[in-house]
Amino acid sequence: MNWAGNHLIVAPVVLPLLAAAVMLALGGERHRSINAVLNVVTALALIAISATLLCKADAAPGGIWNVYRLGDWPVPFAIVLVLDRLSALMLLLTSLLGTAAAVFSLARWHRAGVHFHPLLQFLLMGLNGAFLTGDLFNLFVFFEVLLAASYGLVLYGSGSVRVMTGMQYIAINLVASLLFLVGVSLIYGVTGTLNMADLAARIAALPAGDRALLEAGAGILAVAFLVKAGMWPLCFWLPGTYAAVPAPVGAIFAILTKVGVYVLLRLWLLLFGAGAGAPAHFGGELLFAGGMATIVFGAIGTLASQDMSRLAACSVLVSSGTVLAALGLAQTGVTGGALFYLISSTLGLGAFFLLIELIERGREPGADVLAVTREVYGEEDEPESEDEAGIAIPATIALLGLAFIGCAVVIAGLPPLSGFVAKFAMLSAALQPNTAVPVHSWVFLVILILSGLAALIAMTRAGIRVFWVSEREAPRVRLIEMAPVAVLLLLCVLQTVQAGPVMRFMQATAQSLHTPHDYMRGVLEFSSMRRPAGGT
Amino acid sequence: MEIVLALGIGVLAGSGVWLILRPRTFQVIIGLSLLAYAVNLFILAMGRLRTDAAPILLAKGAGIPAQFADPLPQALVLTAIVISFATTALFLVVIIAARGLTGTDHVDGREPEA
Amino acid sequence: MGVSPETLLIALVAIPFAGSFLAILFRANARNAEAYLAGVAALAAFVLVVIAYPQVTNGGVIRFKAAWVQEIGLGFYLRMDGFAWVFSALITGIGFLVVLYARYYMSPEDPVPRFFSFLLAFMGAMLGIVLSGNLVQLVFFWELTSLFSFLLIGYWHQTAQARDGARMALIVTSAGGLCLFAGVLVIGHIAGSYDLEAVFAAATKIRVHPLYIPALVLVVLGALTKSAQFPFHFWLPHAMAAPTPVSAYLHSATMVKAGVFLLVRLWPVLGGTNEWLWIVASTGLITFMLGAFIALFQQDLKGLLAYSTISHLGLITLLIGLDTPLGIIAAIFHIMNHATFKASLFMAAGIIDHETGTRDIRRLNGLWRFMPITTTLAMVAAAAMAGVPLLNGFISKEMFFAETIELHDNSLVDRGLPYIVTFASMFTVAYSLRFIRDVFFGVPSQPLPRTPGEPPFLMRFPAELLVLACLVVGIIPALTIGPLLQTALYAVLGDSIPNYSLAVWHGFTPELLMSVVAILGGVGLYSILRSYLLTADGPPLLRHIKGQRIFERVLVTISWRLARWLEAVLATRRLQPQLRLLVMAALIAGFAPFYLHGLVAFGPRQTAFDTGFGIVWAVGIAAALAAAYQAKFHRLAALILIGVAGLVTCISFVWLSAPDLALTQLVVETVTTVLLLLGLRWLPKRIRNFAAGDTGFGVIRWHRIRDLVIAVAAGMSLAALSYAVMTRSQPKNISGFFVENAYTQGGGTNIVNVILVDFRAFDTFGEIAVLGIVALTVYGLLRRFRPAAESAQVPEQQRGRAHGGEEDGEMQQGAGIKGALAVPAFMISMLFPVIGVVAIYLLLRGHDLPGGGFVAGVTMAVAFILQYMAHGTAWVESHLRVLPIRWMGMGLLLAVCVGGGAWLFDMPFLTSSFSYADIPWVGAMPLASAFLFDLGVFALVVGATVLMLIALAHQSVRGHRTLRSRTPNGEAT
Repeated sequence: MNWAGNHLIVAPVVLPLLAAAVMLALGGERHRSINAVLNVVTALALIAISATLLCKADAAPGGIWNVYRLGDWPVPFAIVLVLDRLSALMLLLTSLLGTAAAVFSLARWHRAGVHFHPLLQFLLMGLNGAFLTGDLFNLFVFFEVLLAASYGLVLYGSGSVRVMTGMQYIAINLVASLLFLVGVSLIYGVTGTLNMADLAARIAALPAGDRALLEAGAGILAVAFLVKAGMWPLCFWLPGTYAAVPAPVGAIFAILTKVGVYVLLRLWLLLFGAGAGAPAHFGGELLFAGGMATIVFGAIGTLASQDMSRLAACSVLVSSGTVLAALGLAQTGVTGGALFYLISSTLGLGAFFLLIELIERGREPGADVLAVTREVYGEEDEPESEDEAGIAIPATIALLGLAFIGCAVVIAGLPPLSGFVAKFAMLSAALQPNTAVPVHSWVFLVILILSGLAALIAMTRAGIRVFWVSEREAPRVRLIEMAPVAVLLLLCVLQTVQAGPVMRFMQATAQSLHTPHDYMRGVLEFSSMRRPAGGT
Repeated sequence: MEIVLALGIGVLAGSGVWLILRPRTFQVIIGLSLLAYAVNLFILAMGRLRTDAAPILLAKGAGIPAQFADPLPQALVLTAIVISFATTALFLVVIIAARGLTGTDHVDGREPEA
Repeated sequence: MGVSPETLLIALVAIPFAGSFLAILFRANARNAEAYLAGVAALAAFVLVVIAYPQVTNGGVIRFKAAWVQEIGLGFYLRMDGFAWVFSALITGIGFLVVLYARYYMSPEDPVPRFFSFLLAFMGAMLGIVLSGNLVQLVFFWELTSLFSFLLIGYWHQTAQARDGARMALIVTSAGGLCLFAGVLVIGHIAGSYDLEAVFAAATKIRVHPLYIPALVLVVLGALTKSAQFPFHFWLPHAMAAPTPVSAYLHSATMVKAGVFLLVRLWPVLGGTNEWLWIVASTGLITFMLGAFIALFQQDLKGLLAYSTISHLGLITLLIGLDTPLGIIAAIFHIMNHATFKASLFMAAGIIDHETGTRDIRRLNGLWRFMPITTTLAMVAAAAMAGVPLLNGFISKEMFFAETIELHDNSLVDRGLPYIVTFASMFTVAYSLRFIRDVFFGVPSQPLPRTPGEPPFLMRFPAELLVLACLVVGIIPALTIGPLLQTALYAVLGDSIPNYSLAVWHGFTPELLMSVVAILGGVGLYSILRSYLLTADGPPLLRHIKGQRIFERVLVTISWRLARWLEAVLATRRLQPQLRLLVMAALIAGFAPFYLHGLVAFGPRQTAFDTGFGIVWAVGIAAALAAAYQAKFHRLAALILIGVAGLVTCISFVWLSAPDLALTQLVVETVTTVLLLLGLRWLPKRIRNFAAGDTGFGVIRWHRIRDLVIAVAAGMSLAALSYAVMTRSQPKNISGFFVENAYTQGGGTNIVNVILVDFRAFDTFGEIAVLGIVALTVYGLLRRFRPAAESAQVPEQQRGRAHGGEEDGEMQQGAGIKGALAVPAFMISMLFPVIGVVAIYLLLRGHDLPGGGFVAGVTMAVAFILQYMAHGTAWVESHLRVLPIRWMGMGLLLAVCVGGGAWLFDMPFLTSSFSYADIPWVGAMPLASAFLFDLGVFALVVGATVLMLIALAHQSVRGHRTLRSRTPNGEAT
């Protein structure tokens, strides 16, 4: 590999850090405009980089393109960055949402507090690191990076609501981090390694006496990840927090729950996947049940939500619950569909979080609550205007309405956008023809379809309330605010039109995830050591 | 030794958990610090216990692993200490801010209606 | 023409969508342009359909397949056979007429771009349904039609009826669509493919499959909701809030026909069973009767037409349900006829509404004087609806009667069927009669809102055309509609079409008798009920059962009240329960494996017990417990106690040969305590009040016991885990490598430090990032912070000195302890250089002996903070200027650059190189790049720590400022 190719893999981590460092070295808030430019430029660069990495990973044999040994130490000892399809995919998704958030914030949000831009860059650094690293403890470190950044962004702009939800968020995540540490160290104490691939190899050859200890460690670790992924009943912090954060932060947070999901995808299938020691897919039942419960809870939340932000937050729960449940089914095809779904729903939710702020702009707060109570108690909402002449919607409202319909359709998984294709992909895979279908798959089918209906009802209610009931002049929306929403939705459209290639990629990813041996071999036998062990 | 340390870890963790389940912010932060101690010791314990075998090479050359305490957990603990220091500081500031904005030091920002 | 059939299909679906896209771009008042665009698009589509006819006669099929998502067996597959052709013709043809009609119907102030755009998009989606060669794709377009019908019904969204009607229609139909989706998935699971041909081929397999019933029920649910069949019929009348062209097009001619289309489509697959007969036929029968009955009692023209539509759809469903080829023939034929006459009737109703300004039958009277032509049109169409001979309605009605006479399963209902339908048909005749008699004849009882006149020719024209069709088909069916019907039948029944005759006169047959009875009976019924009808509001008996109300109630109850209740039950927004859940989850996760695999045996003790260690820990344990007990009321005490616990931790680090940890723990301990002390000042005083005890004491005690149990369990399990691991032999782990190579390749004797700055420098990399982020957050948060009022005034200890009064109170406050304790202040200020040197020393030796960048950094920060304590904020910031954020930035930059330096040698990030240099006094000093990295760490740590401490220290200054000018705490946004 050429020079750039060699080191490109570490760029998604170093570049944001560099950007943030420069911002701080220039004195933080003193030059907000420079920071803004840096932020956007870096985010765009990240898109380019991760796109390149994606192509490389897809082209690479075995799906693993590069194993980067930091400090050039031999493999099981060094911290390695591993680039396979899954991580490349998550990198791209992250950079897309990051760019959207960065651009959106330029309109007003980055003036609402201090250090928005560095914090965003740190968040991107943490996310990218978590997606790339192949080392368990290093994963913890990057989790902390992204968590710390997210704390900063949750509290961004202060205000009592944000501080209180922020406190809850921080307290829970601190405990989760401690659990993470306990789990990791326990696993190290039993197996004596931190490298994920090495770990997978050692687990297979673990003495039966240590098995229970190992699984205890893994279980405690899993709890930490499930808190992030927002699995019921560990998810009550999520709606409040997500509903309170500023719009651009919400957009990037759409992927935050997916980090937990990602780690589960990666580690669970690697360590306890097919052919890893005694019980393959240990805890799969639990994962499935939890995912189901999460979907149901999220759907209930969407129906019960009084304002759009909370609706969006609960949709986040539905989305991650769906992926968890699909993962719990432990079928390659379903996992592929779930990945497709993950992308589409994350993009849709990101767009939705941004859109809400634009829609809600210029509406008196509490209007929703009023409207809802009216609806419930069947009161007439306003004197009927008998003249049956429609109102010419200003172009802004029309655009916002279109975007809203787009988001609603993606999130509810209805035609014509990617959400529908994703649901079909998961379900058709779960209902393999000419095979006995386990009862799980039927439950999955029912819950998934019902959750779609719930989302539809909630979205319709909210949409009618905002666009049709309230007579108001169009909010002032700037192009740089509308553009990110549009782009994210267009990506959903693209994903629908290009569903073929995208789905092929997802299936390939799922395939390699379900055959962890490629990953292990790829990492452990990766021999691009230029330095023989001995002498610098 | 092991039994003592295990007991110590247990008590620290137990009191920490008890405190984080209390309703006052200050109790929670104290609890978190106690938990942090417990976890740090736990990590160290995962490398097994060694007395007077500090991982500092005396002879300049390749060391023999058997002669030293497992250095890796120590490195991990160092990282953990730093991070928990940072997060404790953050949490402290958050509870101060919460107190300033809501006027109470209850974790839910309002006194429970009993 | 030169178009290949495939391109023709694509164009057919593409044109409406393209038109819709263009339409939205027009100006709001571009009425004519819009109408032209839409008209041209619709007409073009119609022409294409006509061109396509030759390819679909006698069983011909046009196919177009394109790859879409092959991985999951989902292709884009358009397929036009005779049956689809007939529907396409209806959709495009009537679509064109409706556009023409709408041009004159819509008022100038209506925003027409939206209207025509949605209308065209709907046309495209509808074509998509009928042309889908793939069930999933059919569902795809199915849901699209629901969406566009929602948008069209809600077109006049300033009225509540429009909004509610739209929402109801959307929810009912797309819920049905989701059922259909599930059904299609089941069918696909059985048949192994979603393509129509494959599904047809697997027909028998499907019918015998155990999952047949679920599949059937789900699909039928989809169809019935769409076609507004009982008990889902209630949405259709409320959809009449839409503009009349929409009602004419979507809610009589096309969309509601999608359901019956689907039934006919899948009849070869799902039909031919008793379940089919019972489910479909009985639903159809009930709907047919119910609709006809309710329609008679409507006072709103469109309401009457809506219920009559429901009734006719019921008739069609019944025919399909009867499960015989002849039934299918009659069904298809009646679909066509109904589309023609009902569309024209809606147009007539629209014209009346448009001309008179009301749709209330009670107010309308004797309109024939004002609009004779419209009257004629309406009369003919209504007659067709009633099934009067020489009109198309009559012929399909006769086929229907004939079909009901046939025996199917010889059940009671089956034998009674002819009488039932004849009776129901009387109502059909009656309401048709009422539509004509009450509206167009009689004397005007009260003045109309507007004096009506004939509408412009082009507004009448569509209706005229349709009525003409009714007549022609009615008189010479075999010559006109015959071949088309034949084509359609070929597609459905294959070449096994039973012989049927399209003729007006079959001689004296039972069905003729039934028609006559129905007509006479209808006339009789009307003349009896006439006076009652004018006063009645709603049908008798059923008047109080309002489907809409029920639906709204159910929807609100389930989707709102129940949901909120469940959320309240299933979730909590409080912190403590969540932490409790989290801890318990961890406990379960920790225990489960031992429950499954059995407990693991503890190994032998590795190290001998040491009394000193025991004593130390006795203290530590006591301190921890005391802290847990004291934390609520005696904060300072608790602080000191955890200090002790921390100290014990320190000592055990030393004991367990981890000097670095001990050192770090110590400095961190110090700084944390300072922070907490600074913070403590802003928390409210807590005085133990016993009054609080007695309220709900039992509950509180119970909570405490529960928490205690959890806490003990957590402690014990962590202890057990650690003991289990500590007492078993260590696996061959990766740290051996570090011991071996720390010096030879890392260039340091302090293995831990080498790991931190070299082997695992990437961790440190992230770690310092965390520190930096937290510092920024703290700064950002405290920048806006205003302390609570009562804790804002100067603490008692300093009041004494504040003799200067309010205005210089601030200066006093900033002055720290200098005034009070001069000597210590002096000593502290002397300490600054000393501590500084210590810090540097720690930094330098870090690579070989305990120390390193972090410890050094924190020490340095301590030096700074001591100055603050000694001289107060104001003095320090005037004398030595620290820019913490810059420090942080520089530190990070340095770290990155050192790490990236390796790239120059094409080495991975953070690859270190080193050599030793002998520096006087300091000794052998490692010039490792790792050291520079450590320097970066140092800089960042100094910056971050100082930033946090200063931010907190400044509170005390700002606190009192706020007392003077109480600024509201700044809410962002």
